[in-house]
Amino acid sequence: MNTVIPITSEGDFDSQTAALPPSCLAIIYFHAPWAEPCKQMSTILNTLASTYPTTSPPQTTFLSLDAEEVSDVSERYDVTQVPLVVLQKDGQVVEAVTGTDASKVRNAVEKHAGSPSAGAPGKAGLPPAQNVTKPAPSQSLDEPSAPHTNGSGAADLSKYAPSASDPATAPEYSSGEVNGATKEELDSRLKELVKAAPVMLFMKGTPSAPQCGFSRQTVSMLREKGVRYGFFNILADDEVRQGLKEFSDWPTFPQVYVGGELVGGLDILKEEFENDSEFLKDYSVHASKGGPAAPEQQAQPA
Amino acid sequence: MATSQSPMEDAMRGKIADCFAPTSLEIFNDSHLHAHHKAMEGSTSRETHFRVYITSDAFKSKMQPARHRMVYTLLKDELAAEGGIHALQLRTRTTEEEDKAKASGTA
Repeated sequence: MNTVIPITSEGDFDSQTAALPPSCLAIIYFHAPWAEPCKQMSTILNTLASTYPTTSPPQTTFLSLDAEEVSDVSERYDVTQVPLVVLQKDGQVVEAVTGTDASKVRNAVEKHAGSPSAGAPGKAGLPPAQNVTKPAPSQSLDEPSAPHTNGSGAADLSKYAPSASDPATAPEYSSGEVNGATKEELDSRLKELVKAAPVMLFMKGTPSAPQCGFSRQTVSMLREKGVRYGFFNILADDEVRQGLKEFSDWPTFPQVYVGGELVGGLDILKEEFENDSEFLKDYSVHASKGGPAAPEQQAQPA
Repeated sequence: MATSQSPMEDAMRGKIADCFAPTSLEIFNDSHLHAHHKAMEGSTSRETHFRVYITSDAFKSKMQPARHRMVYTLLKDELAAEGGIHALQLRTRTTEEEDKAKASGTA
């Protein structure tokens, strides 16, 4: 799966883009560390990147630039506000998206690069089988690259807020995040978060290290059906944990959202799958051409 | 009258019966299955995790999330209380759905 590559200099940018074949879509993301909305966009792009398989030749490349640090490139693209996502093919800008609307960015990328499953030679990855390995330590917020993912099926969005890498206990307060973010700010943040991926799972722990039996079963079920989803570890962010309960008027976790709407918890998910064998079929890796990928062929992070 | 060993369950049963007039109501206390979990450290309650199966026509023409919300709202205080209900598994069916499930053997 793809990751977002940070670019730190003009030279770096030029060499990266020069190496791309004309059919490859470059998704160039301009951000600034001081701009709050950029945190959201970073998360959204990391998730999006991880749903595109790494192919050869590359179908998509995600580059991220600190707009002020690499100001020469920013000037070239006439960047006046961040976050800004520029889509470029064969050296030509085909689209530019401002703001933090996850679906807008995703639609633009899919329009020009095709949806993640198209073109993938049946090797689209699934969240890996759960084993007891420790998840990789999370990156600091200064590096929007290398998302904390578990195979291209699930993407970690708990970098959405600065969080401890250890999901064992719920911290008293969300670490680092401005305490007492106003209700509106929290609400709008949650609104975007539930849409960050077409299927979103808010769980206790992570898919490779679930911290609750119900969360573990939910991950298991989604993996069995080969559903692509983004996940958020609510144990790592108490603000989201409590906020989401109010936001959705739903007191328990795990919570599954499809297209930004709450589907419910484990029991509802189970019933939906029982009643309808096509449930979530559109979000499954099996929807790609060439039939389902054999379990042995799960793509692993490089 | 002797004090009940299961005040939480009694409260739940009472409330659900009053509100939904169910044709079938089963409450399973699964707390012992989770008592050793980290999240339950320090808890003295034996009534933390429940599985509740409700069959009632109060659920007619409502989607599952809406049905579950009805129950959550009803048990809001118990869910919010310190040492109250920690986890609630729900199965909410109408009498028609219950009959269908029984007929297909998945009841």
